[in-house]
Amino acid sequence: MSAYLLNLAELGTIFALLSLSLNVLIGYGGIFSVAHAVFFGVGAYAGAQIALHLAPDVLLAALGGGLAAGVLSFALALPALRVRGEYFVVASLGLQMVATTVFTEAQGITGGYGGLVGIPPPSLFGLDISSPRLFLSVCIAILLAVMAGVHALMRGSFGRSLMAVRDSESAAEAFGKIVPILKTLAVVLGCIIAGAAGGLFALQMSFVNVESFTLDQSVLIMAMVIIGGVGTLLGPLLGTALLLLLPAALSFLPGIPPTELGAVQQGIYGLAMTLLMIFRPGGIAGRAEGRRWGGR
Amino acid sequence: MSPILSVRGLAKHFGGVAAVQGVDLDLPAGLITALVGPNGAGKTTLFNLITGAVEADTGRVMLAGKELARRTPARMARLGVARSFQDLRLFQSMSVQANVLTAIEPHAWFWQPGGRRARARRLQATEMALAETGLSALTDALAAELAYAERKFLSLARILATGAQIWLLDEPASGLDPASRARFSTLLRKHAAQGVAICLVEHNLDIVSALADRIVFLDQGRKLAEGEPQAILRDPALAAIYFGERRA
Repeated sequence: MSAYLLNLAELGTIFALLSLSLNVLIGYGGIFSVAHAVFFGVGAYAGAQIALHLAPDVLLAALGGGLAAGVLSFALALPALRVRGEYFVVASLGLQMVATTVFTEAQGITGGYGGLVGIPPPSLFGLDISSPRLFLSVCIAILLAVMAGVHALMRGSFGRSLMAVRDSESAAEAFGKIVPILKTLAVVLGCIIAGAAGGLFALQMSFVNVESFTLDQSVLIMAMVIIGGVGTLLGPLLGTALLLLLPAALSFLPGIPPTELGAVQQGIYGLAMTLLMIFRPGGIAGRAEGRRWGGR
Repeated sequence: MSPILSVRGLAKHFGGVAAVQGVDLDLPAGLITALVGPNGAGKTTLFNLITGAVEADTGRVMLAGKELARRTPARMARLGVARSFQDLRLFQSMSVQANVLTAIEPHAWFWQPGGRRARARRLQATEMALAETGLSALTDALAAELAYAERKFLSLARILATGAQIWLLDEPASGLDPASRARFSTLLRKHAAQGVAICLVEHNLDIVSALADRIVFLDQGRKLAEGEPQAILRDPALAAIYFGERRA
């Protein structure tokens, strides 16, 4: 496998983890957030700082990133989730805009617009795993472990309660569900995973700056989840593969000038989203998997 | 018979509109009470006030004689007050079994307490509720894919499985065919006989007269009359209000 494809596979695995994390919010909790890149960014900065000042350990960066994003999301979720539906989307948009400014201005922590550079190559328990194959293997192992954890949670009572809130908040309340707690747990869980993905991202890139954590990134993650299939386990993975591979695949197609690639890509995204919403609103994996959720 | 749930002077205004005005209501164990009245009488709002889905301006709600000051739907559910909704509000994307199971899983955390035994008990309660409502064959079907009558019975199965002692049912039999209606009435009668206090909002007066032990007649948020079904339903003044021929 060429270095380019390995790099793409690493990024794909990290973004799969990221879209899986947003799927916990959107797919299972019905909580639409356009600020997910913020928690990805917080995790990335935390992971980068850990790598720069402690050790570039993959697990340490993922755990540190997850913890930082989880704590921040807990602090923000409790007041933010008091508002419903579209108001939460607007609140998350506001958070995304504020966070982008903070990422740019808090130079002591984020390195400002220039970002944090010189992040050392990744290791695992002191062993060098900077070889792309090794790093990819560790990322895949983390992704599979998180998928198994999310799968188990969503098939259990927590997942059922969360989906009940998504389907009918008032009915869930009428059956004793404490909706703010459930929603907060979903947000914190999703943001911990996003933060862990951020920690891995920092080590993969060996450089992080604000451009990776903007509104565009949040929208891209959301598109991955929606196109792949909300509320399914494989949907976010399919969405990620499609949206990450598409630009790469387009660059190999003859007849498209490199300067027009961006426009062609946007056109294809738009068309794909429109067609999906008309013919398969549950996303690519939506219909096939949807029935399996919520059972014993 | 002493009431399990009592309401005293419950009132709610929405802006300038008095939705419920100082209503008193008693729900005794083992009796079926029907709330009857024209559209906009405040019947559903009364359910919302009792369960805390809407905050009352004034008034008290007492459960077994104990006043419940800060009511929320979740707290009332935990205290054994179960309700259904006019528009059912099933968990559409979930299976029939998951709908019922979710209704009886009390905690919001990542797991339920009590281990395997408690889980087995919940599964058993789910199976019994589905059997009683005739939905056993549809355990794995999605709620969204059910026929109308099945959806109605699923709404009831969720309540039944909770073991709640007070049921507030909002138009539970509307739109049912005669056979389903009869099955539904038998089910309600059986549980009332076991001591459940049932309060239902119902527009179909045939169902009300066949099922209810007492009727509370509401109009424009006020309680106009209360008594045995035949006495209330034969009152020409109430009939005129009910059918919109005149206001109270």
